[in-house]
Amino acid sequence: MPIELTMPRLSDTMEAGTVVRWNVKEGDAVKSGAVVADIETDKATMEMPCFDDGRIAVILVESGKQVKVGTPIALVALAGEDLASVKAAGAGGGHGASTSTPKAAPAPVSPAESKPTTVKASVPTSVQTETTHGMEEFGATSARMRVSPVARRMAEDAGLDLAKLIGTGPSGRVIKRDVESALAQVASNRSSATIVTGTAMSVSTSAAPTAVAPLSLALRGRDVALSNMRQTIARRLVESKTTIPHYQVTMKFSMDALLAMRKSFNDKLGAAGIKLSVNDFLVRACALAMAEHPFFNASFAGDSIRVHEQVNIGVAISLPQDRGGGLVVGVITDADHKSLRQLSSDARALAEKARTKGLSMQEMSDATFTISNLGMFGVEHFTAIINPPNSAILACGAAIQQPVVRDGVLCVGTEMQVTLSLDHRVIDGAMAAEYLRTLKEFIEEPETLVV
Amino acid sequence: MSAVMSNPLFREPLTIAGAAREIEFRDAVREAMCEEMRRDKRVYLLGEEVAQYDGAYKVSKGMLAEFGAARVVDTPISESGFSGMAIGSAMLGLRPIVEFMSWSFSLVAADPILNNAPKMLYMSGGQYGCPIVFRGNDGAGGQLGSTHSWSVEGLFSNVPGVKIVIPSNPADAKGLMKTAIRDDDPVFFLESERLLSMKGHVPEGEYLIPFGHAAIRRAGKDCTICSWGRPVHFCMEAAEILANEGIDCEVIDLRTIRPLDLPTVVASVRKTSAAVVVDQSWSFASPGSELAAQIHRHCFDDLDNFVHRVHSDDVPTPYAVALEQEYLPNVRKICEAVRSATYRA
Repeated sequence: MPIELTMPRLSDTMEAGTVVRWNVKEGDAVKSGAVVADIETDKATMEMPCFDDGRIAVILVESGKQVKVGTPIALVALAGEDLASVKAAGAGGGHGASTSTPKAAPAPVSPAESKPTTVKASVPTSVQTETTHGMEEFGATSARMRVSPVARRMAEDAGLDLAKLIGTGPSGRVIKRDVESALAQVASNRSSATIVTGTAMSVSTSAAPTAVAPLSLALRGRDVALSNMRQTIARRLVESKTTIPHYQVTMKFSMDALLAMRKSFNDKLGAAGIKLSVNDFLVRACALAMAEHPFFNASFAGDSIRVHEQVNIGVAISLPQDRGGGLVVGVITDADHKSLRQLSSDARALAEKARTKGLSMQEMSDATFTISNLGMFGVEHFTAIINPPNSAILACGAAIQQPVVRDGVLCVGTEMQVTLSLDHRVIDGAMAAEYLRTLKEFIEEPETLVV
Repeated sequence: MSAVMSNPLFREPLTIAGAAREIEFRDAVREAMCEEMRRDKRVYLLGEEVAQYDGAYKVSKGMLAEFGAARVVDTPISESGFSGMAIGSAMLGLRPIVEFMSWSFSLVAADPILNNAPKMLYMSGGQYGCPIVFRGNDGAGGQLGSTHSWSVEGLFSNVPGVKIVIPSNPADAKGLMKTAIRDDDPVFFLESERLLSMKGHVPEGEYLIPFGHAAIRRAGKDCTICSWGRPVHFCMEAAEILANEGIDCEVIDLRTIRPLDLPTVVASVRKTSAAVVVDQSWSFASPGSELAAQIHRHCFDDLDNFVHRVHSDDVPTPYAVALEQEYLPNVRKICEAVRSATYRA
């Protein structure tokens, strides 16, 4: 039986993907593991491997086209299968679809029904023995995540994040056995004393895009199509801003000591290719402060607060316009265990990769706290929107020379304003003030960051 | 009825050790009718050939000799006429049993049996009840052609006021027939020509099986199969095949579809998360579609897949033997539906 390649779900939030480029053409032999296409998800461009040996019989979705997750994009003929007949069956509009109206992309079919060599005439008006899965006869349903009711209930009862599960039902539907095997996995992890980290905690981001007020058509202008990334930003940040009770707390730090230390380090280590940024010190300070303030490294989980064991600092990275603009959050894992030098090198590598090749899902996943810095643009003060499922985000302005009063004397000092946006369900105002005071101590006595 | 409900016999498997008497389905129906006619002089049987010929299918064999021509009445070939007569006598206090040679022939009596009997109590403001049993063969009898192979439960279960009994075995046939005769409402009692010769253990003496009380024929944990009447046997056969594949089916015999024993079905589906409904009537607006809708409603959060249904195909019943077999809900179709419902396909 030929193998159907379908648009993979490469991230939790991915609903559709674009075939950026096919690395194979019809007739090409492919081996298991070969990268057959590059797929643009809502956040990144990723490589799509083939899992079987065979030959590409037909490419159903040409490059540049966006299709929903689960849509067949190509058929692979296995050894002994006739390329032409597989192609004919595949091009015939899929299975159960009307043969009189060939579709560009056949509807997703259940594994049970996918026998591309036999094109079945559908009988939509009469219900025969029901062994199809209810989606085939009326075309593709929405690409949102499919979960059987009992699987949803079991996952909720067990506190499992459905988005983390891989559905083995038709069109990737998450079914009972998927939840059962995930629970068995969790149980075996627990029994072997492995720490279950907060990865199963991420707040659902599959909420429907929020409708906006219709624009007045009398206004002239041009419409710019939303990229996948912009759609994700729109959805996630609306969700964050409308479901998290945000509030902000601002504090000014004196930067003189830190800037002097940075200059000294960079002067001495420049030859070794080390160039520490102010942001590197901030990442280190924020990460170290978590030890005293664990609720800043936590997620609101409905009926509980998950305090994460790992400290993963997300750093907002803006992308150049020639790569479509937008922003991603690169994640520095275990930031509390890394030296300034390591943090700096990690941050630089992430930014570089984000702006050139794009980050992998791994490199964008599981931040527990996020920093957004607009200081390099001269911004003095701004507020940021929390990056779910984080409980806080730090917005940093520029270090600016200004008149300050030190020991009753007016003098010139370099000051930086930082503003925390906080989830009030997790963190109260006084806790925020305490955290900022700890940060202030680290920043204003920067030698503490070195040890 | 409470004494009846508490009788442990109703939930027992039908083969009872040490009670070896096995009789045919037709004998069980006759035994029930005779016991009730001995017990209650108001009960009488009428229909085509029921007296002198012993019934077209020998269900009423010997009854004329025991009860006489006044209580075992041969009628003309006129379903509308004798159904109407029976309804009139029921309104005035008798308790008739009307035999249709085939339920397919009841269609010419649609007005009395659907428009009069089930509505009588309501339309007379409670003055006249209609304690009457209509019984006969239902479903494909084996190469009888389209017009004589009706499964009337698809049409008739739509009518409020009727009770519909579809027994799958001799013991149920007896216990349910006795309940039907004692019921004060019109009861449609659907037998199968293909089951009349089936032998099974039937307890001797008095027992009644209440309506709306399903029997679990086979316990299982992976998928609930619901059926009634003849297809229950196909379900049992399918369950055996599926067991060899590692799918453990629970087979529920509903026994009556009006009333319908939802609590038993719901409890089972909550356990298995998968349900297949097997109904030999056509699928559109059928008892099977009703049961599926009820399961979806009551077990929504318990289901791992939508409720799969196996029916007769949506065509007039074919005459050719192979086509008829393929048309009916059969073991193969049931197995396919269960595999699909449990994602084992």
